Amino acid sequence: MKLAGTVIGQFYPGESLLHRADPRMKILASMAFVTTLFLADGYAALSVLAAGIIAATATARVPITWIYRSLKPVLWLILFTLVFQLFLRGGEELARLGPLPIYRQGLYDSAFLAPRLLMLVLSGALLTFTTPPVLLTDALGSLLAPLNRLKLPAYELSLMVTIALRFIPTLLMELERIILAQRARGADIGRGGLVKKARALMPVLIPLFVLSFRHADELALAMESRCWRGGRGRTLRRKLRLTTADVLFGLLVAALLLFSLGLGIL
Amino acid sequence: MVLKALAGVSLDIEPGERLGIIGPVGAGKSSLLGVLAGLILPDEGSVTHGDLRLSARVRPRSGSVGLAFQAPEKCLFGKNVLEDVAFAPRQAGVASEEAHRLAAAALLATGLSPEKFAPRSPFSLSMGEQRRVALAGVLASQPQALLLDEPTAHLDPLTRRDLTGRLLDLNQEQGTTMVIVSHDMDEILRLAERVVVIDGGRVAADGKAAAILTDVALLERHSLEPPGVVKLSLQISQAVGGTTPVALTEADVLATLMAALPPGGAP
Repeated sequence: MKLAGTVIGQFYPGESLLHRADPRMKILASMAFVTTLFLADGYAALSVLAAGIIAATATARVPITWIYRSLKPVLWLILFTLVFQLFLRGGEELARLGPLPIYRQGLYDSAFLAPRLLMLVLSGALLTFTTPPVLLTDALGSLLAPLNRLKLPAYELSLMVTIALRFIPTLLMELERIILAQRARGADIGRGGLVKKARALMPVLIPLFVLSFRHADELALAMESRCWRGGRGRTLRRKLRLTTADVLFGLLVAALLLFSLGLGIL
Repeated sequence: MVLKALAGVSLDIEPGERLGIIGPVGAGKSSLLGVLAGLILPDEGSVTHGDLRLSARVRPRSGSVGLAFQAPEKCLFGKNVLEDVAFAPRQAGVASEEAHRLAAAALLATGLSPEKFAPRSPFSLSMGEQRRVALAGVLASQPQALLLDEPTAHLDPLTRRDLTGRLLDLNQEQGTTMVIVSHDMDEILRLAERVVVIDGGRVAADGKAAAILTDVALLERHSLEPPGVVKLSLQISQAVGGTTPVALTEADVLATLMAALPPGGAP
């Protein structure tokens, strides 16, 4: 079992163009990209998007192993979905694989689904790879600021998201240790029927929850002892400022996305 | 790049032996315990328990090894102490009543009164008590060999001394083999009769505890410090300029000091 060493939500320190881009711009670009990903239709449109994300990945200068590790968890999901799409879709039969029919619509859909899912995950991964957690919080807080007028705690919300991301690897590492420790006590994890499996998870889940609560307590205390008093009236030491390069980056992404959408309509 | 946690480690551990494993942070000590317990399968080489060669299919016999990771109290989960401690024997198929009897005996062996603690929630206990419960959970399966990763780390000095004594009793009375990983050299000195130094995933030294723990040059080479008593006795012998033998216990230090003093007491 290899749970620790995950790259989900992690930051890869660097000095690339993408690292230096304004975090708000990166969040907006990544959201717009994902939306376009599901609106755009046709191979041409997807190819444009793929070219865009590949260019962005190349710019980010993140090791290829990190890219691979970020995509690995979805590979199984994609494989699983592909099998269902191919054989169970119904409609016009294209070919046969033994007793299993392969449908035209299924083939078509799965050819779109896999790249879409990969690009979706990649765009999210690029955002967290190239943005330090603190900047991510500030940027989210700044983007959610309009919510303040509705008396919603925008900054706290963005901080929650960042803390959650920050604790994924920590909790996974602890989960791995707990599983090993309980197996050392003879726990039978991951075997037997569904009910037995669920019951066998209790010795793992309870300590994990207890640990999470303890982390939460300790983190809250540590933040309070460093005078954290919530988002109200809080000012940033480093103000986020859009530069010409950031605007250019935004325009470039917008142009690419519109172009891809246009290709889908034509 | 493939990073090898352990390479070229060859160890024979005799039944009833008390082996201490020391080494700098990241040396591979905890990994070695995992491998010895059969939880981590080595990519190369093998681990044999008695005549049983472990593999993905051949698991250690129930009751052959008990492993307590660092801070084992983090893995408590039972609704009460008795259920938690009885978990291992229950998993091994022991009937409920017998498992509870084993659990009570294990609690007693770690210094907790079963009557008082059995019905309590493990989460309501102090850290020292939780550590005792967690160790009892390992003892309940009556392992022939105990693998302990920093068994007394972060505990108060009294609990520390008490637990060390109880582990020694277990070894003396039941012949339980012990493999102890620790950064606390004084604890290793009290518990181990043989010491292995691990550094960079390799065995750097292997010998009698008294020899290894007094070899200051060897220890320093591997970013380790001798136990407090050894340091003190070396300082005394340096101060008096004599070549007194290195002390291994507080009583020895005292004897060295008394011998160095002029007759009739302090000058």
